[in-house]
Amino acid sequence: MTVAVLVEGLTVEFGRFRAIDDLSLAIDYGEVRAVIGPNGAGKTTLLDVISGVSRARAGRVLFDERLELTGRSESAIARSGVRRKFQKPSVFEALSVRDNVEIGLGGAGDPASHEKVAAILETVGLSEHADRLASELAHGQKQWLEIAMVVVSEPRVLMLDEPVAGLTDEETERTAALIRRLRTPDRAIVVVEHDMDFVEAIADRVTVLHEGRTLFEGSMARARADARVVDVYLGR
Amino acid sequence: MWWRALFAGLFGAILTCGAAAAAFDRAAIASQICGGAAGMTDAANAMLAGLVDATTDDARWAAALSGAAIDRSLKCGPQDPAIVAPEGAVNAATLSPVEGSVGTSPLLSLKNRPLFETVRAAATLRSGAAVNDRGAALTALERRAGSLRPEFFEKAAEAETDAGLRSRILAVGQAALLNSPDMSKRIAAIERIAATPDRRSLTRIEALKSDPAYQTDPGFRMAVDGGVASIGRWLSVSNALNVFYNGLSIASILFMASAGLAIIFGLMGVINLAQGEFIMIGAYVAYAVQEALRAVAPGLIDWYLIAAIPVVFLATAGIGVALEATIVRRLYTRPLMTLLATWAVSLLLVNLMRVTVGTQNLQFVTPWYISGGRLLMGDFIVTWNRLFAIVFAGLTLGLTWFVLKRTPLGLNIRAVTQNRAMAGCVGVATRRVDMMAFGLGSGLAGLAGLALCPIYNVNPQMGSNFIVDSFMVVVLGGVGTLAGTAFAALGVGQINVLIEPLYGAVAAKVIVLLMIIAFLQWRPEGLYAVKGRRK
Amino acid sequence: MIAPKPPLPARALDDRVFAGVAAATLLAFAAVALWPGLSGYRVNIIGQLACFALLAVALDLIWGYAGILSLGHGLFFAIGGYVAGMHLLEHSVATTGVTPDIVQFMGWTALPAWWAPLGSFPVALLAAIAVSFGAAFAFGWVSFRSRVGGVYFAIITQALVYVAMLLMFRNDTGFGGNNGMTGFQMIFGVPFQSPSVATGLALASLGVLGVTLVGCRLLMVGRFGRLLVATRDDEIRLRSLGYDTLRLKLAVWCLSAVIAAIAGLLYVPQVGIINPRVLSPELSLEIAVWCAIGGRGRLAGAVIGAVLVNAIKFSLSATLPELWPFVLSGLVILVALIFPNGLLDIGRWRPALLSRPGALRPQDAAS
Repeated sequence: MTVAVLVEGLTVEFGRFRAIDDLSLAIDYGEVRAVIGPNGAGKTTLLDVISGVSRARAGRVLFDERLELTGRSESAIARSGVRRKFQKPSVFEALSVRDNVEIGLGGAGDPASHEKVAAILETVGLSEHADRLASELAHGQKQWLEIAMVVVSEPRVLMLDEPVAGLTDEETERTAALIRRLRTPDRAIVVVEHDMDFVEAIADRVTVLHEGRTLFEGSMARARADARVVDVYLGR
Repeated sequence: MWWRALFAGLFGAILTCGAAAAAFDRAAIASQICGGAAGMTDAANAMLAGLVDATTDDARWAAALSGAAIDRSLKCGPQDPAIVAPEGAVNAATLSPVEGSVGTSPLLSLKNRPLFETVRAAATLRSGAAVNDRGAALTALERRAGSLRPEFFEKAAEAETDAGLRSRILAVGQAALLNSPDMSKRIAAIERIAATPDRRSLTRIEALKSDPAYQTDPGFRMAVDGGVASIGRWLSVSNALNVFYNGLSIASILFMASAGLAIIFGLMGVINLAQGEFIMIGAYVAYAVQEALRAVAPGLIDWYLIAAIPVVFLATAGIGVALEATIVRRLYTRPLMTLLATWAVSLLLVNLMRVTVGTQNLQFVTPWYISGGRLLMGDFIVTWNRLFAIVFAGLTLGLTWFVLKRTPLGLNIRAVTQNRAMAGCVGVATRRVDMMAFGLGSGLAGLAGLALCPIYNVNPQMGSNFIVDSFMVVVLGGVGTLAGTAFAALGVGQINVLIEPLYGAVAAKVIVLLMIIAFLQWRPEGLYAVKGRRK
Repeated sequence: MIAPKPPLPARALDDRVFAGVAAATLLAFAAVALWPGLSGYRVNIIGQLACFALLAVALDLIWGYAGILSLGHGLFFAIGGYVAGMHLLEHSVATTGVTPDIVQFMGWTALPAWWAPLGSFPVALLAAIAVSFGAAFAFGWVSFRSRVGGVYFAIITQALVYVAMLLMFRNDTGFGGNNGMTGFQMIFGVPFQSPSVATGLALASLGVLGVTLVGCRLLMVGRFGRLLVATRDDEIRLRSLGYDTLRLKLAVWCLSAVIAAIAGLLYVPQVGIINPRVLSPELSLEIAVWCAIGGRGRLAGAVIGAVLVNAIKFSLSATLPELWPFVLSGLVILVALIFPNGLLDIGRWRPALLSRPGALRPQDAAS
């Protein structure tokens, strides 16, 4: 089976600060991988490099074992099928909900794409808000709208940065269900999250980052039992 | 350079010691002058030699005697030679009156006439005559300088009281040597001229390349070539220093104008388009202080530049704080609208000033401590007014650095610049910090206006001349770092003065802009940007 | 958090205002064409206002929709203006044979040979479009490629227009220096004294304005416009949805530049002169002020702002010219503080002063 995202020897520096330090990582198709770790562990930076927002100092990122992503533009990476939801809900506030999703699809407005947009709006539960401005949505709805914008293009790699931050318990549960539904054999899903219960509910495997390096990789249950992980989270 | 001057002085001193023994034997000369053509030649030469170390009195005598020989009032007869004047006759050796002198006036031969004219001119120069007469004498000497000993001119220059005449005497002396028939003297003269490396020396030595000796005498050619090369070297050094110095003074003003802009931009992401008007207001407040001193304490008026420093800073900072509190604060989330609003404020300030004070340039007193300058070497002159701006900017840089790094306000400014939300969370009153920083930045602009008064025209529109250049500095330097601003100001200032003489001021601006655009390709966030991940 | 609903849904209001502005343009066109009572002076003013409105529409495309503020749009306006000046000089010489003043004060014997093709109007029009497009493309490409935006972009464009002004003030740049170009005799074979010239130019300006308004409106409510708005709201988000925002921004930037150049092309024959003062940073800033006063991102606002501000300016410059800067700065500050989205906000005015300073409203992000 091909590896969806292969990260090899990745190093990212901001000035003298090393956000990611010689990190290697493999994410398979069909899995939901959670990347967790304390603040400053390099989780968001990892997504930034994969999606082309930040540049790596050393190392490379390989998509689908054939396409080198490092050095490509964000738009080229997105078009190749690697898409990402940002930490802060990033929707186009001056456009309607439907416009937002259509832009995510990038389609030309033919009937097929209208159906797709309608379907995804149904999935995230925003059908009745389709004609409202995105700025009028509640926080949780914006999170889902952004997921819809990213998912509607049917990406091979889906990266979600803190999809349940600021959501109520009920909204979190619905989001978890949504992500489980998005999981298909030819899609890799990477989730960065702080909410451990949410991670346990959705993740097949977790990667624990600490100071830019992999501290642990395995199931959530084993992660909870791992002494180093506990140390990092609880501090000493 | 000082050591060259020292050598020249020592050299001169040794020569003078050797010549000091010569003195006038007035009686002998007076009798020689009546001894036919050969005697007259000897007398003239003796006077020329003696004039090197002659006292004023001796010189006056020589002038009188040679003058008498020329206008034929000298009488050679059976008695001692005498000079006949309308007031009465005098003894040629003592100039004391004599009775009833008779005799014939010796005829000056064609060869002796110029010789005596030289003696008269040289003696007049040393005789303490009126400046005009001395000048005329020097003009007469210029043509015959070669027949005088070089030390004569040095001595004459030393004794000369008029500065203009003194430098002329030195020049004539050097020319005398250059054209001296004695090759070793010529070469020595060339080396001497090369010791003061300025443009005039260069032309003088270069002119010798057309001298026949240049082709025939290898020693002479070497001396000329060596002299040209040496002056060229020194001139290029002094030129470079001049360029650097001018660039530094422009950079100083630019730095003060942009430091505030950069601090405010780093802190609030806002560009204050009225910054140029704060410069203008700073200059106007300085003017007000000058006028106040003129009215209250006219004796202290020279110190208005110093007295105005706190006044200017407080006034412009106060206006800045007011602007922040009334307008800028309400537009934080809309930086582009802030551009327009601050532009409107600048329009308002310019026109207020125009209506209330008028559009004419303000007249500033130039205090003694910033007038004039000092010629350091070659063509390099350190002018005090520019030095004032440079030192002032240096002190401002130091003080601003101190405020930013060593005071609680500075700590707060840096904290809010780096992370506004977090600074707010840990209890920094971010709004107050903004206001203070805006005041600080405006005050710095006001100080730039103060430093500008002695150098530039001060009128209501003056701000617009600086604002675009200061933007360029901010863009180049990146936001919120004093070091970046200082380096960018230096860069823009130096580039301006480097390009200006070659292609003109406009081309300098064009090239600076193109370089900045090119530079942004390479580092979009400026020189000193701190990168981070997306929030 | 759900924002309080405005009394009238924003889009419906915009639609009405746009319809009103389009109708007003049409009405002005009809009046100039058909009403004989309109004096030549008035017609000329209407024509000039239409040019300013066109210029404002050009700026609104990039500032209002794409969120890129240019403080150097006078550059493109001047490109059109100078091309028009060269065309009119060539045309006047060809038709009347009279040597224009510029030849004398520039120390030439005749107009430069390379101007000759500009004597033909189609060539001049093409040249204005090509040069403004080329300049915009070159500058836009280097700026957007290195992701220069926001305040940086604004002040660099200001520096650009400032430097261009300094260049054009020089005689040896070759475009009339300080004096610029003036003394045009003929346009399309008609002498300038003829009253039909003012009417024709005003009609042309209004016509171009109307067509541009409708064309841009169609473009902006379509996919292209929505993508521009998306760029303004969150460019990184749009890029990571697979869009090449460089191309989007370049496209609208070049379109805007060309419209501004055409405005300049239409403007110069109406005032009879072009000189480097149109390149002063103040004029370019004023264009942004028109848009801000009328309200950004809705085209109609730009027209309203440009017409309103310039109408006040025209009437004041006849009576109290020294008052104008105070009125202008007062207007700008008023709009900035109280009507963040321009005077069109008056219809649904919420006292912005009372709202918490610093609270981010939807359309604020790119202002």
